[in-house]
Amino acid sequence: MKRVAVIGGGHNALVAAALMAKAGLKPLVLERRDVVGGAAVTEEFHPGFKVSAVAHTAGPLRASLVEELGLEGHGLRMMEPEPRLFAPLPDGRSVRLWGSPERSAGDIHRLSPRDAERYPEFHRTLTGLAGLLGRALSLTPPDVDRPGGGDLLSFAGLGLALRRLPRRDAHGLLRWGPMAVADFAGEWFETDVLRAVVCARGIWGAFAGPWSAGTTANLLLQAAAYGGNGAGSAVMVRGGLGALTQALAEAARALGAEVRTGATVQRIAVRDGRAAGVVLEGGEEIPARAVVSGTDPQRTFLRLLDPALLDPDDLQRFRNYRQQGMASKVNLALSALPAFGAVKGEDPASLLGGRIHIGAGVDDLERAYDDAKYGGISRRPYLDVTIPSLSDPSLAPAGRHVMSIHVQYTPYRLRQGDWRTRRDEVADAALATLEEYAPGLRGLVLARQVLTPLDLEETYGLTGGHPFHGEHSLDQLFATRPLLGWARYRATIPGLYLCGAGTHPGGGVTGGPGANAAREVVKDLR
Amino acid sequence: MAARYDAIIIGGGHNGLVTAAYLARAGKKVLVLERRHVLGGAAVTEEVFPGFQFSVCSYVVSLLRPEIIRELDLPRHGLEILPLDGTFTPMPNGDHLWRMNDHARTRREIYRHSPVDAEAYDEYSKAMADMARFVKPILSMVPPDPFGYDVAGMGKLLGMARRFQALPRAAQHNLVQLMTMSAVDLLDQWFETDVLKATMSASGIIGTFQGVRSPGTAYVLLHHYMGEIDGAFRSWGFSRGGTGAISNAIAGAARQAGVEIRTEAKVARIVVKAGQAAGVALESGEEIPAAAVASSVDPHLTFLKLVEPGVLDGDFLTEVRRYKLRGSSGKVNLALDGLPDFTCLPGLGAHLRGAISVSPGVEYMERAYDDAKYGDFSRHPYLDVVIPSLTDPSVAPPGKHVLSCFVQYAPYKLREGTWDEKREAFGDTVVNTLAEYAPNLKGLIIDRQVLTPLDLEREFGLGEGNIFQGELSLEQLFFLRPVPGWARYRTPVKSLYMCGSATHPGGGIMGAPGRLSALEMLKDWKRRVLR
Repeated sequence: MKRVAVIGGGHNALVAAALMAKAGLKPLVLERRDVVGGAAVTEEFHPGFKVSAVAHTAGPLRASLVEELGLEGHGLRMMEPEPRLFAPLPDGRSVRLWGSPERSAGDIHRLSPRDAERYPEFHRTLTGLAGLLGRALSLTPPDVDRPGGGDLLSFAGLGLALRRLPRRDAHGLLRWGPMAVADFAGEWFETDVLRAVVCARGIWGAFAGPWSAGTTANLLLQAAAYGGNGAGSAVMVRGGLGALTQALAEAARALGAEVRTGATVQRIAVRDGRAAGVVLEGGEEIPARAVVSGTDPQRTFLRLLDPALLDPDDLQRFRNYRQQGMASKVNLALSALPAFGAVKGEDPASLLGGRIHIGAGVDDLERAYDDAKYGGISRRPYLDVTIPSLSDPSLAPAGRHVMSIHVQYTPYRLRQGDWRTRRDEVADAALATLEEYAPGLRGLVLARQVLTPLDLEETYGLTGGHPFHGEHSLDQLFATRPLLGWARYRATIPGLYLCGAGTHPGGGVTGGPGANAAREVVKDLR
Repeated sequence: MAARYDAIIIGGGHNGLVTAAYLARAGKKVLVLERRHVLGGAAVTEEVFPGFQFSVCSYVVSLLRPEIIRELDLPRHGLEILPLDGTFTPMPNGDHLWRMNDHARTRREIYRHSPVDAEAYDEYSKAMADMARFVKPILSMVPPDPFGYDVAGMGKLLGMARRFQALPRAAQHNLVQLMTMSAVDLLDQWFETDVLKATMSASGIIGTFQGVRSPGTAYVLLHHYMGEIDGAFRSWGFSRGGTGAISNAIAGAARQAGVEIRTEAKVARIVVKAGQAAGVALESGEEIPAAAVASSVDPHLTFLKLVEPGVLDGDFLTEVRRYKLRGSSGKVNLALDGLPDFTCLPGLGAHLRGAISVSPGVEYMERAYDDAKYGDFSRHPYLDVVIPSLTDPSVAPPGKHVLSCFVQYAPYKLREGTWDEKREAFGDTVVNTLAEYAPNLKGLIIDRQVLTPLDLEREFGLGEGNIFQGELSLEQLFFLRPVPGWARYRTPVKSLYMCGSATHPGGGIMGAPGRLSALEMLKDWKRRVLR
């Protein structure tokens, strides 16, 4: 029996387990909590109010997985809200981005005819690049030391595709990757809020501001996952993201995987230089042919593995791997739908169903980052807000709503005080900022939940509180994610694999790392 | 009509002069046109105040390519490099950090601050030397075109990939980090002493509109680390007679090879006939025909002003406009009646002969950048100060001194007010900052010259005051410099070439762009693209 122990029951681990089971292996998923899903879970945080506790939009899940694992048969319903994104301004103006670039352009026209003219071209360019980059997302990064024939073929294919792109786009791709997203946005648009909306994709989940070089790579990565639509994308899940991971768990079980909750892995057992299984807290030993870790690289290699088994240089590099969280979640139970000043004479439900971007200009985002750079909580944070109860009323009692707020920046390491005492400041800063856009919001709050980077670490197992298992910076992407020489999902210890967001293609609820890792494990074990 | 030249070089900066010298040595008839009354561009020595000679802009040298020194026989034309002894960083707490050119002494000094860092310094120095050795050949390489059908270029890329593969894992890892990380993130992995990290990270931001925490600055750190004099790594120096002496030495070599040089000859436009550069027109109205034109000025000036509208296609012009110049620094030159006395290390010791770096902490550096991000000069700027008259007494009257401060940040685009209004306030900020560490400074000042980014543009033709003719950020390096597809010194206009710091391998008194450009032009003559 080819049993594979899978550490962690997050979406990537579940994807890997389902695919390994499908290929005839016997995966056993070991989840520490009572519920699978990792950071993609739906939780009742106040009686009758449920919310996607951590991640609140799907990455989106790689389309082929939905089909391959029959997820719709297990209850998964993904929705793309219209408008995808609503970016209000305190003065009542707003940007709305829709599925259709023409419709978005039509709305942008009120702010800037020039930007309206540029928008469809922006959309087209990113969609073109996404086609190319999307192919790279499903590849195993090449072996730097011994590039094999298969690698060379797939990369030769990518190289050809790059050369087939319109010259302008190919040039763009090379230039944009290392650029600051503020420069990228500035190349396209003149309206500050539209620039900020574009920038938000680049700083999302990054300990970096819009003027930090390399943030455009983060935007391109997401554009690739979404198949284009670089700024205005949003995928929601009916029932919250927990419904997605429940469907994944169901699919995995149906394919023959076993899923155990309440099973905390204490260490990875290594015998004769090979990963031989795992040991649970309480002492239970689970032997396995291979161990696949869905947890982040630091937890896997610095905590679960005996450090003596790693090369001291590698150990040092994993210690230096940048995995410092920068975001918090604030979840609100609301007595009614908030009234945004920028919603005038329209049905609010028709505008607020997607992502609501709070960050009026590039400077606002940068200043929010400045605070965090020196170890403080952003006084006026960047917020990515959703009101999932609009598209899925089952999440809140009738007439009530839940609001899910991604708050950036809140550094894992505070210069003053600690997260146990400063938790409320996050919600206060988020609410004070939101009040400028939706006056009266505070009065609607029935209950609030704050998840700081420390909570993300302690409750959800994200070491350092980093939502993506490590920064999406140029030195930690593709063939260097998590480290150069470690990007092919295999550890230096035979039989030990990584399948989480700390591997290519990185964070976001895409299932990409899990799927790529499963392919490599199956290749080795079959 | 004047005689027809084989090539006209626009701009008499060090790169323009290098191009001219190499072309003339190959037998071409070359004319250099310089707008100012003096040669050198930003590598220029001027008597700003009677008796006081300043390296007005660029003030130290380390990157000048050894092959240029050799091939143009520059020492025979008067080039002499005097060593700059280390970097002295005064600290507000009364301590200091003094890194010398001698590894063992520097190590002892670092040990005083942190024994762990002293040990790390050994490894770090070795790692950086390895990196510099890996990257160095790239400085002498014409960038390949990944989009063209350039087989030789592809071979070069493949060769680089093989060399990378052959490196030990640790070196590969370091190289990836150097190419992508921020200077501070990189240094954080090696060191714990704040002032050491701050002063080292400073070389990662010189001439860029980036902070020490901005990704990509680690590369600029290496760019400066690669400095070499006579093949020795990591030694910076003064040129005797100021940096203008370097330009004069190159000009001497060029003249000897037959180059004609005209100063106070401002080019108004590049004459294009039938899609081909045919010469230049001066502001005086004079037209000078030539088979080829090489511009050593920045791409904005070359393509947006000197080439007439309608010649270049819109896509190319868009890329040119996107090329970031974005000056971020200024210069303050002081004529002094004596030497500054630092509270933390009193006396007139050897520490004054090196660079004096006002970079007391990482946060200090980052906050200096924050001010500039929002469109103002740093209230507490980073300063790199030298007193060349200590090493080369010829540049000041006996007993007097010249002191020059390189200042960062000073953004070209101010959000409020103009540089003409703020120039003196900027100068005061710089003097006050330095006087915090050397209180006697203010009483010594006989005269001062303040150069804002606007002045660097107006006086020296540096677009937006950028000392490197364009940011050394990853998206503007190698085959992307200055614009993708046009990194091989050629331009969309036939027989028009680029030969300045805006081309690979970039800024600093290096001469490499000028030399590589000349070699490419000569190839085109051989191929009969140029006649």
